[in-house]
Amino acid sequence: MANNNLEIVEKESKQYIVVLVGSEQYGIDISYIDNIVRMQKITRVPKAQPYIKGMINLRGEVVPVMSVRKKMGLEDDVFTNSSRIIILKLEESGSFGIIVDEVKGVVNLGDDEIDNVSNKGKFINGIGKHGDELISLLEINAIVDENV
Amino acid sequence: MDVSQYLEIFIDETEEHLQTLSDCIMELEKEPENMDTINEIFRAAHSLKGMAGTMGFKRMQRLTHDMENVFQEVRSDKLKVNSSMIDLLFKCLDAIEAYLNNIKASSDEGTEDNELIIKELNDFIAEREGEAPKPEQPKKEQPMPEQQADEKKYFEFDMNESEKAKIKEAEEGGAHIYGMTVYIQKECLLKAARAFLVFKAVEECGQILVYNPSSQEIEDEHFENDFSFYIASEEPLEKVLDAAKAVSEIENVIGEEVSYAALAERQVQAEKTAAEEQKVKEESAAAAPAVQSAAPAAGQQPAKAQTANKKQAVAKPVTNRTVRVDIEKLDALMNQVSELIIAKNSLVSIGSADSGDFQSQSFHEQIESLERITTNLHESVMKVRMVPIESVVNKFPRMIRDLSRKLNKKMELYITGEETELDRTVVDQIGDPLQHLLRNSADHGLEDNETRIALGKPEVGSIFLNAFQEGNNVIIQVGDDGAGIDVAAVRNKAVERGVITEEQAESMSQKEIINLLFLPSFSMAKKVTDISGRGVGLDVVKSNIEALGGDVEVKTALGEGTTFTVRLPLTLAIIQALMVEIRDEKYAIALGSISNIEEIPVKDIKYVEAQEVIHLRGKVIPLVRLDQVLDIPSREEPESLTVVIVMKGDNMAGLVVDNLIGQQEIVIKSLGKYINNNKIISGATILGDGEVALILDVNTLM
Repeated sequence: MANNNLEIVEKESKQYIVVLVGSEQYGIDISYIDNIVRMQKITRVPKAQPYIKGMINLRGEVVPVMSVRKKMGLEDDVFTNSSRIIILKLEESGSFGIIVDEVKGVVNLGDDEIDNVSNKGKFINGIGKHGDELISLLEINAIVDENV
Repeated sequence: MDVSQYLEIFIDETEEHLQTLSDCIMELEKEPENMDTINEIFRAAHSLKGMAGTMGFKRMQRLTHDMENVFQEVRSDKLKVNSSMIDLLFKCLDAIEAYLNNIKASSDEGTEDNELIIKELNDFIAEREGEAPKPEQPKKEQPMPEQQADEKKYFEFDMNESEKAKIKEAEEGGAHIYGMTVYIQKECLLKAARAFLVFKAVEECGQILVYNPSSQEIEDEHFENDFSFYIASEEPLEKVLDAAKAVSEIENVIGEEVSYAALAERQVQAEKTAAEEQKVKEESAAAAPAVQSAAPAAGQQPAKAQTANKKQAVAKPVTNRTVRVDIEKLDALMNQVSELIIAKNSLVSIGSADSGDFQSQSFHEQIESLERITTNLHESVMKVRMVPIESVVNKFPRMIRDLSRKLNKKMELYITGEETELDRTVVDQIGDPLQHLLRNSADHGLEDNETRIALGKPEVGSIFLNAFQEGNNVIIQVGDDGAGIDVAAVRNKAVERGVITEEQAESMSQKEIINLLFLPSFSMAKKVTDISGRGVGLDVVKSNIEALGGDVEVKTALGEGTTFTVRLPLTLAIIQALMVEIRDEKYAIALGSISNIEEIPVKDIKYVEAQEVIHLRGKVIPLVRLDQVLDIPSREEPESLTVVIVMKGDNMAGLVVDNLIGQQEIVIKSLGKYINNNKIISGATILGDGEVALILDVNTLM
């Protein structure tokens, strides 16, 4: 009985890491996240796509880092003390990092708290409501996608 | 029992035997009478059959069995080798290879029976049988060695009551009870597998009642070279014996019909001595005499096996002292060595950065010794991963032979340097490109025989494949003495196809035009054949080779032939590199491609066709401003430039850098899939201080 309940709860709510990019709050599905690291030296890669910031050394592995801001057409990143690189892991193409201005925390969002708005942008797959705050849920595949 | 653990050994060995067969059949084609070759083929076919049987691949076993039969005939001089037989034998090899590929993919041989080939094989034998006397049957029918009483080990073990009851019950049910002892050849590697197959074979005739040793022990290979069992069967004894003997690597099978009564008597006798005296004691005591009586039998065993061993030793080649290792384990080892080198590099950079007080001389000495050790370690691991390209090029003579027939051109392939070693991963992937180049030579390179005679060339065309090591590279040349590339035709075609404009064509050198052949979808074949000329040609070769960190060049002379030169790096993972600095960015250049380093005063820079060049010891070398290529903000021009002269084949270029940092062993890491088609950068590496530096691909900078 207890087990059943637990399963239902898990099915209906997902954990999201809430980050700040510009003035907007974004939620990233926690199952994609491998790691969150502080800002560090990023080695520029010449002739790469404009939104590729470069490569970092993540515990002996070389991992590319992208700018979500550039990808979304926002102004360039300004690195501050609260800037972080979120390392995401996709099964088919490996790890990569995205730069965010700040990591706010973790929220649980149930299905009923997520709005599948019709006029959402290409990078958003829904809007989560957590208390008074609105969290745009990031579509990870769109960030990686070459053609978006 | 599960034989899957032997599958890899089986695959490897089958590949080896197939190669032997292919080589020998080629030889046989040249010298149809060579007895040594025929014997060699017979042996290889026989081993193949045995192995396929062991693994339960029945179709493969059948095919090889029939092949072996044909050779039995050839060996006993009843059949002559002719070209149709050679063709058929090659077909057999292809069929076996197809089985093997199925097995590799799915651990199953597939369902192709190859009836046609088998029928053709049997036709060969049938053809002869009318005239020749019936061939001697293989070994099977040779007189059986004298049966010795103590070989009948099935009398020598104890049965418990339930086992006895089983035998009694079966006998009462009207079945024959046979006691059998199977001797496996002493050299046999997979004893448990053989035993399993014997059981499988005899169980088609009846039911095994009692095992000795127990079936579990047999499965775990806890037995010497023999095992015994009792079987209840409706079939005659001969059939059961034959079924067991049909399994390969079985030395002998001894068996006879027994009755429960006789058995019981023997058992009682055996127990009597012990049992009478110790009747009251525990049951276990009954085992003692059995152990005693088994001992002399076991003692006799080695002697017998030794004679068998002597016979076999002559036939078997000396085995190398080698170990087969899964390539993944080597990859893991290589990765660890890479980690170690990164760690070492960071120690080195700490050592050189801190000029603090804890710096002692011994610290530096230790670092130096650590450097030596890691370099040696890396070299050793690299050597372990090196395999001769033999395994790849061995397939080519056969391919050229087939092509020669298909194209109706006479040609001969000459291979040198097949012992040249390359990293295993490179060897695995170099086969396709080389094959492509050879096909190209055979199809487009060589003229047909009439043309050759008319041109006064030898009728038989030559194709050659030369491999050798040159510094940190391995060079493989594939060429022919054919027509060469018609540069004018290539130029016209390129213009016609809109690849280049007429004006461009005018200003291009011969070399540049030939390099157009490497563009995608630029096939020069006048007609499309199934051999080559489908437009997926040299560009694929080029990209395959580049993916391995190598490059390919063409040299051609009209009427004299064409040579493709493939240059491959010895190793993929770790290289010696020169670290350079451009503004605040660090880049690595592979040391292997660097010829020398020069300090060039700016005033010495000349211009040729609006391109900056330097004149150095009689050579005109184009300058490459790395800061411009790499989109680095420009700076005020200094008085003199540091120029790294790089070389690729005959081409040279001078790369302008700000500073030289020094030589370093670097571990190559991939940039990953997210970074687009970045050809200037071939990878990244992690420096001693943890910073990421990019590796410049010199080939694309020229």
